[in-house]
Amino acid sequence: MMANKHLMPGIAAIALLAVFPLLPVPPFWITLANNIGLASLVAIGLVLLTGVGGLTSFGQAAFCGFGAYTTAVLTTAYGFSPWVTLPLSLLVGAAVAVPLGLMTVRLSGHYLPLGTIAWGLAIYYLFGRIELLGRYDGITGIPPLNIAGYPFLSGQSIFYVIWVFVILTAIGAQNLLDSRTGRGIRALRGGGQAAEAFGVNIIRAKLIVFIFAAIVAALSGWLYAHMQRSVNSTPFGLNMGIEYMLMAVVGGSGYIWGAIFGSAFVLIVKEILQRVMPELVGTGINVEMVVFGVLLVAILQLARNGLWPMVARLMPPKGQLQIPTSVRKLAKRTLAPAGSPLIKVDRARKAFGGLVAVSDVSFEVKAGQIVGLIGPNGAGKSTTFNLITGIASLTSGSVSYQGQPLTGNSPREIAKHGIARTFQHAKILPDMSVLENVALGAHLRGSAGVLRSFLRMDREEEATLLAEAAYQLDRVGLGQYRDRPAGDLALGQIRILEIARALAADPTILLLDEPAAGLRHGEKQELAALLNKLRQEGVSVLLVEHDMGFVMGLVDHLVVLDFGTLIAEGRPAEVRRHPAVVAAYLGGVA
Amino acid sequence: MSWEDFMKNRFFAGIAAIAVMSLPVFANPALADITIGVTIPTTGPGAALGIPLKNSIELWPKEIAGEKLKVILLDDAGDPSIATTNARRFANDDKVDVMMGSALTPAAIGAAGVAAEVGVPHFAISPVPPPVAKGKWTFVLPQYSSVLAKRMFTRMKQDGVKRVSFIGFADSYGQQWVEELKNTGKEYGLEVVADERYARADTSVSGQVLKAIAAKPDAVFIGASGTGAALPQIGVRERGFTGPVYVVSGAVTFEFLRIAGKAVENTIFSSGPIMVAEDQPDDSPTKAEGLAYLKAYEGKFGPNSRTQFGSHVWDAMVILKKAVPVALQKAKPGTSEFRAALRDAIESSGPYNATHGVFQFTPQDHYGLDQRGAVLLTAKDGKFQLLPEKK
Amino acid sequence: MHLDATIATFLIQDGLTNGAVYALLGLAIVLVFSVTRVIFIPQGEFVAYGALTLATLDTGNVPGTPKLLLCFGVAAFLLDLWSWRRDLKVDALLRNIALNLGLPLLIYGAVLYLAPLQLPSVVRVLITVSIIAPMGLYVYRIAYRPLADASVLVLLITSVGVHLAMLGLGLIFFGPEGLRAAPLHDGSFTMGPLLVTAQSVLIYLMTILIMIALYFFFEKTLLGKALRATAVNRLGARLVGVRTQLTGVTAFVLAATIAALSGVLMGPITTIYYDTGFLIGLKGFVAAILGGMGSFPVTAIAAIGVGMVESFASFFASNYKEIIVFGLIVPVLIWLSIGAIHHEEE
Repeated sequence: MMANKHLMPGIAAIALLAVFPLLPVPPFWITLANNIGLASLVAIGLVLLTGVGGLTSFGQAAFCGFGAYTTAVLTTAYGFSPWVTLPLSLLVGAAVAVPLGLMTVRLSGHYLPLGTIAWGLAIYYLFGRIELLGRYDGITGIPPLNIAGYPFLSGQSIFYVIWVFVILTAIGAQNLLDSRTGRGIRALRGGGQAAEAFGVNIIRAKLIVFIFAAIVAALSGWLYAHMQRSVNSTPFGLNMGIEYMLMAVVGGSGYIWGAIFGSAFVLIVKEILQRVMPELVGTGINVEMVVFGVLLVAILQLARNGLWPMVARLMPPKGQLQIPTSVRKLAKRTLAPAGSPLIKVDRARKAFGGLVAVSDVSFEVKAGQIVGLIGPNGAGKSTTFNLITGIASLTSGSVSYQGQPLTGNSPREIAKHGIARTFQHAKILPDMSVLENVALGAHLRGSAGVLRSFLRMDREEEATLLAEAAYQLDRVGLGQYRDRPAGDLALGQIRILEIARALAADPTILLLDEPAAGLRHGEKQELAALLNKLRQEGVSVLLVEHDMGFVMGLVDHLVVLDFGTLIAEGRPAEVRRHPAVVAAYLGGVA
Repeated sequence: MSWEDFMKNRFFAGIAAIAVMSLPVFANPALADITIGVTIPTTGPGAALGIPLKNSIELWPKEIAGEKLKVILLDDAGDPSIATTNARRFANDDKVDVMMGSALTPAAIGAAGVAAEVGVPHFAISPVPPPVAKGKWTFVLPQYSSVLAKRMFTRMKQDGVKRVSFIGFADSYGQQWVEELKNTGKEYGLEVVADERYARADTSVSGQVLKAIAAKPDAVFIGASGTGAALPQIGVRERGFTGPVYVVSGAVTFEFLRIAGKAVENTIFSSGPIMVAEDQPDDSPTKAEGLAYLKAYEGKFGPNSRTQFGSHVWDAMVILKKAVPVALQKAKPGTSEFRAALRDAIESSGPYNATHGVFQFTPQDHYGLDQRGAVLLTAKDGKFQLLPEKK
Repeated sequence: MHLDATIATFLIQDGLTNGAVYALLGLAIVLVFSVTRVIFIPQGEFVAYGALTLATLDTGNVPGTPKLLLCFGVAAFLLDLWSWRRDLKVDALLRNIALNLGLPLLIYGAVLYLAPLQLPSVVRVLITVSIIAPMGLYVYRIAYRPLADASVLVLLITSVGVHLAMLGLGLIFFGPEGLRAAPLHDGSFTMGPLLVTAQSVLIYLMTILIMIALYFFFEKTLLGKALRATAVNRLGARLVGVRTQLTGVTAFVLAATIAALSGVLMGPITTIYYDTGFLIGLKGFVAAILGGMGSFPVTAIAAIGVGMVESFASFFASNYKEIIVFGLIVPVLIWLSIGAIHHEEE
């Protein structure tokens, strides 16, 4: 088997790490490398939590504290072996993370970082007040790690323990991101609406990264306790919480390897400053902190996405993703027989305070039909759409799918019925590849969870999902852009991409919100052809559209709204002549 | 990206330049004759302790017993992790013969751990608790609270104090004093009726002061250091408390007097003798070194710049000047034999008449100070004075 | 411990005084954030600089801050020169020299001359404000302007950098020990059992005054409206011709002015250290966030609330004060989050 070229730097780095302590380097370099390793673990957690998941946390140092204190207490007061306390430390970290996470992931907007600062500080102060934890002075006399009686006292020996954990964590985190669950997590950043519409459980995804970040922080704390062999609350306060974030951002908060790079960069720069500055300016004043602050600002001004993207440019490019062709086919839904009622909107009403946006609207979408929902601006089209997809809740009335009520269901539950949608303001993940964006649509067609992804046991399923995504991309004609970041696409292509993503969900019905907006004439014709083809395959479509010309030639059935009420419905030709429609459209102009 | 591009990229060129520049920094230092590693907080919450220490280190001699002195001073910002890292580096890279630090207790504990592990004589510049001071390699320079407490509590008993309200730092230092007050204080008939804590950077201690006074104490006891002690001192007077106030040694600085102003009347301070070296009787064993230190320090940093903290490292030098020649007879600096010999010599070469008292280290006692290390003071006109003994 | 009415009134007064200071900081943080999306952590350092500058002036000495201002000015000047290296215009250069070099030099000279004169306290306050306020201008120019369109997280970490640099500078210029300024007015009067100092009345008045001034500024002046427009929609504001850089500068100078005033008010009632700023800034930040990073009145009310909780916690369980204060924030945030309309970030 030929090694992938892009793996070479990684293998070289690991080889370098393996021989590093054996080189004739000053012992302090080892100590520094150990500190870098410990910080990297926390920073990797932050990359997943903040850089990928969009949850800014300044409280990670508190989880280090839980890991460190757990083993400190158990080994000193109860004589546990350090290896026994490892799972216990991680467990305590996770156990604390669950309730904290449940609270934290519910915090919105600016409340989130403050929330993490608040509990981070409360826990930090608590550490220093508890008798069992040795109050302010902490716990001393923690035993070193040992294997068969050989204690890991030296910096060299614990170096290997630390870095094995760092590399395993980094690879595991990379695996996690490059998976079905990972796509759900990565989709959190854009607000998560798109992810939710394809069945990702947002709260669960947030909780997963939160707990993951907590566990790796606790791991760092456990290692820290056995390296320092004394523990006190100082390193678990807000200062370190901020510093970990700083490392993640300097490294590039979206990149796992950036976390390691950022930790190394920050710690090495601090070290250099501490040694160089007194020689430059004398020992009379302490300018290290000033220089470090200025340097930090300068780095962000020069590289606001962090330093890793610059390093990554030096690496050989990633080869094109190979998608195996001989994969198991995904199960497909049986489509409802043509003409049977699929979606039924019954006297749906939505009021915002006193304003009635949708007033007792009723209509039906039958299987195998393309139904258009049209009306002037402010007619209530988008609100109706949101009522069907579960983003807005009904004030009264009901929406049902094949006779089952959808009322009160979340977008995620609605997605499970095979109802797939696109968005008026396209919600794609610009940093993710086109293929991965589409694969997000197939989320519900896979089942691999965190552990399987982390351990890379999800490959067969993952290949199936990617193959499906690739198929849908070819189907809509975007196959050639597969490996490009989705953000590179033109607006029209992004709309098509959203359709491909919806198709990857194996839908019985597509809900398209203004799919033709921003498309050129030729693109519109291609879109119409695609929708016609889907109709032939039995897929139903409900589309909200502005472009009358596009709609008229395409749909089987037309529903017209004005000021929140249904003013006409029927075949396009009939509706076009309907006096109320004429009045609504022309009246608005005249 | 090719190598040329790489070098053209100004950013990476910058990083490369920094890396190259830093190479000598990381290289092993040339072995000086006697190497001392000091880790103290010159930034962060302990900077008020660390900076006078740093200044005092500048007053150290260039050599001891003909051996040149190389001093490596690192900042630990009061963080035990950094202090431990610094100590490891002193031990492993710089191969120091002696290490000192840190000035805050948790950080000093961290450094003591490394000293014990690698076998380097270590001077803690903070009153670390007994389990740490029992360590073979660690010697404690500042007075442990019990040395100061005995003198203070005796005086409180003489003053007729029974009920005491404690207001102190919510840290290791405050904790040490409240425990002293609760445990040893009992023997002097003292009862702690309020135990209030605050942080140095708190902007208000009104709640603590109100509660301390509401407990109707005979006296208020302040367990805080530096200007941080001024807030409760002013607070209790503002709230009309007229009884005596007792303040621990950490607060005995001129900055404290400057801020507390008129509020220090009827306040008694415990202190090391250094703050009033001039006022000591001529036969006092601490006078000569005290005056020498003050002359050097205030000569360099200005009149009235003395603090309670700076001279601890001067004391360390007093000890080393006597112990190093003894150790030199056994081994050469830079060897583990020398470190072991020095450790033994520190234990056996006392007593050391230093600025903060007379150190007499023994294998059982690494605090070394007795009652000569404690004096009681009052403040008048912005100056500290020895408190006349009560008969 | 028994809480009687007298003690309760004392605690309320204490909470109110501290809360008023937090409110000032919170207002400035909201102001800066809503215009520039910068979470302005260094606001606290500006407060400390203000208090420490005033305390130094009280002793008749020249504080380090004017020198620092000069350094900031030179840095801003050099950065401007660098950014104009391809296209240097004489009139812009002259304006730049006047603003970045002339102004700090002028202030530096004035302080050098005025400091030893033992002037009345009002003048010392004015000197303090005129040293600190322009720092807002230079800090914006040096640190934030080049990052005007970066993400909130990057701007936040930039703030951490500025905070560290200013903290270090504070240590260099003012030393590690705390300072306390002389009260602006020595007077006091009693209200029942309560002793009210003139200084605390000044703090209340100033907080109310600044809130009113901010209201008028935002509602009645053109610049204020431009600031508001930027807050609502940066791009839109730029499209209609609002110079977002100018609004950024204005927000920072206003914030620095408020900070200097806060420092001046706080300096005489407590001991201020070079690193006190971060903690009071944090409390201001708490208030600002509870105010949704947008509402001035809610921020002020939240700040008073924080002050009150702190005051009562320090009476009932001083050793657990921080745990109580920060522990209580979490449920409040959850409650606010449930009430908040979920809007998308960035």
